[in-house]
Amino acid sequence: MEYNLRISDGDIRMAIDPHREKDALTAVIGEREYSVSYEAVSENRIYMVVDDGKEKTGMDVYVAPTADGKVIHINGGVYMVSDNDDPSRQQRKKNGGAGLPDQVTPPMPSLVISVLVKTGDTVEKGQGVVVVSAMKMETTLMAPYAGKVRRINVAEGDKVAPGDVLVDIERGERTRIDEAVKSPILLVD
Amino acid sequence: MFQKILIANRGEIAMRVIRSCREMGIAAVTVYSDADKKAAHRLCADASVHIGASEPSRSYLNIERIIAAAQAIGAEAIHPGYGFLSENADFAAACEAAGITFIGPPSNVIRALGDKTVARQMMVNSGVPVTPGMHRAETDPLRLAEAAEQLGYPVLIKAAGGGGGKGMRIVTSGDQLPEACRSAAREAAAAFGNADIYIEKYIARPRHVEIQILADAHGNVIHLLERECSIQRRHQKIIEESPSTALSPELRAKMGQAAVAAARAAGYVNAGTVEFLLDENGDFYFLEVNTRLQVEHPVTEMITGIDIVRHQIEIAAGRKLSLSQSDIAGRGHAIECRIYAEDPENDFFPSPGKIVFLQEPTGPGIRNDGGIYSGVTVPVEYDPILSKLIVYAENRALAVKRMRDALSRYVILGIKTPILFLMDVMDAEAFKQGETHTDFIARHFANWKPKSANPHSACLAFAVHELTGKKRSEAFSTAKGEFPTPWETLGNWRG
Repeated sequence: MEYNLRISDGDIRMAIDPHREKDALTAVIGEREYSVSYEAVSENRIYMVVDDGKEKTGMDVYVAPTADGKVIHINGGVYMVSDNDDPSRQQRKKNGGAGLPDQVTPPMPSLVISVLVKTGDTVEKGQGVVVVSAMKMETTLMAPYAGKVRRINVAEGDKVAPGDVLVDIERGERTRIDEAVKSPILLVD
Repeated sequence: MFQKILIANRGEIAMRVIRSCREMGIAAVTVYSDADKKAAHRLCADASVHIGASEPSRSYLNIERIIAAAQAIGAEAIHPGYGFLSENADFAAACEAAGITFIGPPSNVIRALGDKTVARQMMVNSGVPVTPGMHRAETDPLRLAEAAEQLGYPVLIKAAGGGGGKGMRIVTSGDQLPEACRSAAREAAAAFGNADIYIEKYIARPRHVEIQILADAHGNVIHLLERECSIQRRHQKIIEESPSTALSPELRAKMGQAAVAAARAAGYVNAGTVEFLLDENGDFYFLEVNTRLQVEHPVTEMITGIDIVRHQIEIAAGRKLSLSQSDIAGRGHAIECRIYAEDPENDFFPSPGKIVFLQEPTGPGIRNDGGIYSGVTVPVEYDPILSKLIVYAENRALAVKRMRDALSRYVILGIKTPILFLMDVMDAEAFKQGETHTDFIARHFANWKPKSANPHSACLAFAVHELTGKKRSEAFSTAKGEFPTPWETLGNWRG
């Protein structure tokens, strides 16, 4: 079986050959070969012994499926692994997904506190556009790229959710400020 | 001694107070909102009263409902935890008027110390050193701008009505000041019901060192040593420890004495914390008194062996302090990491949702004060603290290793947490050297991304998880297999 997986920011291809009778498999990832025997422990827990040719290592692994893929915890390392060939994931990628930094959208359900721009304004990448509040905290949502404000879709007091586009910005020329300068302490919200 | 205490809070701190009540044989009653119907603090209490809708103003911040709940259930005392109404003088006064003991200082002391500018003035009068800044809260933008000009930028806007980072803004130049003041005032109003703000000089690279104090109603005041709380983001603490690497025994004694003097100046009763800023020259400045039990109290408990909540209850019941200053000694080193439902890759934005799987670390010197369980949904309406992970060891180097290991064994699946980030902090040279200043995260961990140490194993696990799908459900099922039913074992007994 061939897997085309996305893990952190990279893609990894893996070929798996499951053993016919035992709970075991061999795998090839790039130039490395692995021999794995495994057991199901509980709903979210599996035990693997991975032989990489040099050593056999026992691994206590916790896995939970989520909308974005499987979250996998091994020895303190946490990975989000998803299948690039999964059709539902491809559809979400096309829709832009909630929380991706290419739209003015809140990361979680929030309340609009104030809109800092008006239709027709030119904005720089990283410029504050809308102030929202959630979980007792105010945050300023920033323009993900430089451009012109086409339309403001919300007003003060509106309840908004991830995926809602609060301000439509038409992408403009690249300005000199290409890096969003974000410092958790110096950002004046 | 009280027979029944109502805990006017939720989550991990409610669980913490329940524990001390249980040990003292006192019935612990909690309150819960709609969002907390399945919360641990409701399930684990001796009784729990539903007090309203999820929004804090209709439940955990609702004074009338909480007092009514206490009266209905027959609680003689209320423990307010931290946050919510714990520093609300009106709430303490309402308890007093209803004949219910408020486990904390008297309402007039909370009121005086709760106004940060009044508190500063009190300290100035008592000879406790303070940071240069405004002595009164102000709403006039011109006055605020003048004060800022006089102090010289950078300045720090703060809320007069409360702490916890709410309503705080650092301002580096005059043109940022008006919007920063407006935003700070709004946040302060939402968090404390009080929009008053004031401005202080911003001290660069300070350390945040606080002293725990304990005072009874008979005039006895002692301090329980210090806590170092310099690692913060959004002005909120994320890692705390005791002792502080910056304090010599002499400085510790001086700051302890200043804290006790501050407490006496205010007529303080019960547990409290005097916060100081320590600059690079070893000078310290009074910041504020927190008139409540603090989130990070466990590090003090670990190095002194003292149960602070128990002492709070005993003091509130009128007993004399059973400890004197000479009884207080620190041993070893304790570190606490706050585990929030937050995404460290996304500027620590809150990450509410369902905890699909939870496994907490255990072992020698490991303490986890939590309010969560496998399957609970973390609500969006409240501060997203899930638990505090505390470790204790013989010395700081061993404590850092212990924390690093404990974090690696803390499994929380389903929501984002800063656990990987905290592990990287434990590995950082600057942290190991004790270089903990309030700019630590900005300086060493801005734009942090997790390292992918073992991606191949994760890929293998992905495949194994798919292949074992059916087996995993069966492994936890009692429907068939391991426990044969009488239908299978009795055989033909009809004859």
